[in-house]
Amino acid sequence: MKRNTPLITLLVGAALGVVLLVASMLTTPSSALPNYSAAAASSAAPASSAAPAESSEAPEPAESSAAASAPAAAPSPAPTRTTPTADFTGRVGGGGGSVAVAVHGDKAIAYVCNGSTVEGWMRGKVEGDKLVLTGKNQTHLTASYHAGKVTGDVEAHGTDYSFSVPTVSKSSSKSSGLYQATAVVQGKTIKAGWIVLGDGTQVGSVEIGESGEKAVTAPKLDVATMTARIGNVVLHAVPVSGVTGSGF
Amino acid sequence: MTAPPTQPIPLPRKPAASTASLLIVPSLIGALVALALGIYGRVHSPTGIAINIAGFSSPGTVKSWLATGATVFAIVQVGSALVMYGKVPRVTAPEWIGGLHKWSGRIAFLLAVPVAIHCLYALGFQQYSTRVLIHSVFGCLFFGAFTVKMLILPKRGLPGWVLPVAGAVVFTLLVVIWLTSAYWFFSTFGIKA
Repeated sequence: MKRNTPLITLLVGAALGVVLLVASMLTTPSSALPNYSAAAASSAAPASSAAPAESSEAPEPAESSAAASAPAAAPSPAPTRTTPTADFTGRVGGGGGSVAVAVHGDKAIAYVCNGSTVEGWMRGKVEGDKLVLTGKNQTHLTASYHAGKVTGDVEAHGTDYSFSVPTVSKSSSKSSGLYQATAVVQGKTIKAGWIVLGDGTQVGSVEIGESGEKAVTAPKLDVATMTARIGNVVLHAVPVSGVTGSGF
Repeated sequence: MTAPPTQPIPLPRKPAASTASLLIVPSLIGALVALALGIYGRVHSPTGIAINIAGFSSPGTVKSWLATGATVFAIVQVGSALVMYGKVPRVTAPEWIGGLHKWSGRIAFLLAVPVAIHCLYALGFQQYSTRVLIHSVFGCLFFGAFTVKMLILPKRGLPGWVLPVAGAVVFTLLVVIWLTSAYWFFSTFGIKA
């Protein structure tokens, strides 16, 4: 009996592992995965965790959480709309994810992402210094923007975030910004989005299918090559930028 | 064949051979465990999703706390082992020290298992940064080394250095995987529940 206890320890641990593994498999939305995993099944280092390190786990706060609770409506004393084009990126309040807003003339595109299942693309009009953007699955964003900063609230997949994020600083990191990539994998459209912050951290998710309901952690975006790999599929990312108009 | 009387140095060889023969099967099994984990982590496409544990804000925090718990119990392991081996001056091993050592080890291991499963299932074996590569490799090695340690524990007739070395290896691996994960996580994103 005594001699076997280490073995029992091992077997209990192994059994626990198997149970958790099976539970994980059952939890994973099966409809979401087939195409993704099939695509990624090659040995080409499905990098889905680039993000994990930096995104699925990542979107913890760091800064901006205090500033973020500023209500969207607060009218700026003097609506300093310095420029009709601007790009903003930053972490949402509480740090559960990042948000990027690109303003180009009277149009705006925004993306919010927690690095895994909560994310969404939104588009809309700019009215004065107000942004009202909407996307699939009731994803929506309301914000006001001023010189250097956009402040507001965004909801995606039933999760609310408030945010107050600065303009993308060209000096801090030239790769900071919002990027998207789409590909068709086994007949399904996938759309990836990444938000790269000034300190180089990134979060990204991949929407699977047109509905945008299912999303998984995106593979890490290599900002040097603007590519990411899902198995043997190479995604080519393009910037979404109000300043350059890319993606509009 | 003809058994010539050439002497193959009998004395040193015998104990060495028996030590090796005692260690070889556990070591092979441990190596297979490490290899299997690595191959699974590499071949399986990471889902980014796994079951979450209630009460924590994200899988990252759950894992970081579980890993930290495992590491704390692992430190208890080293401390209790030092006491058992009489390496702590002026401390005689109390009779419960064996129980403490066993149970702290079991708890540490059981805390580490869910972390590993999440890593393997949701994230996979990765190499996009040095930290991640070290973590991936050492994570696999840890469970292999732990398997070896568990398998050789009941064996009698091993030289005295074997268990301390095995324990030290397991502990070192665990500390490295903690440093490259939970420590990194907490220092990057702050300590939170």
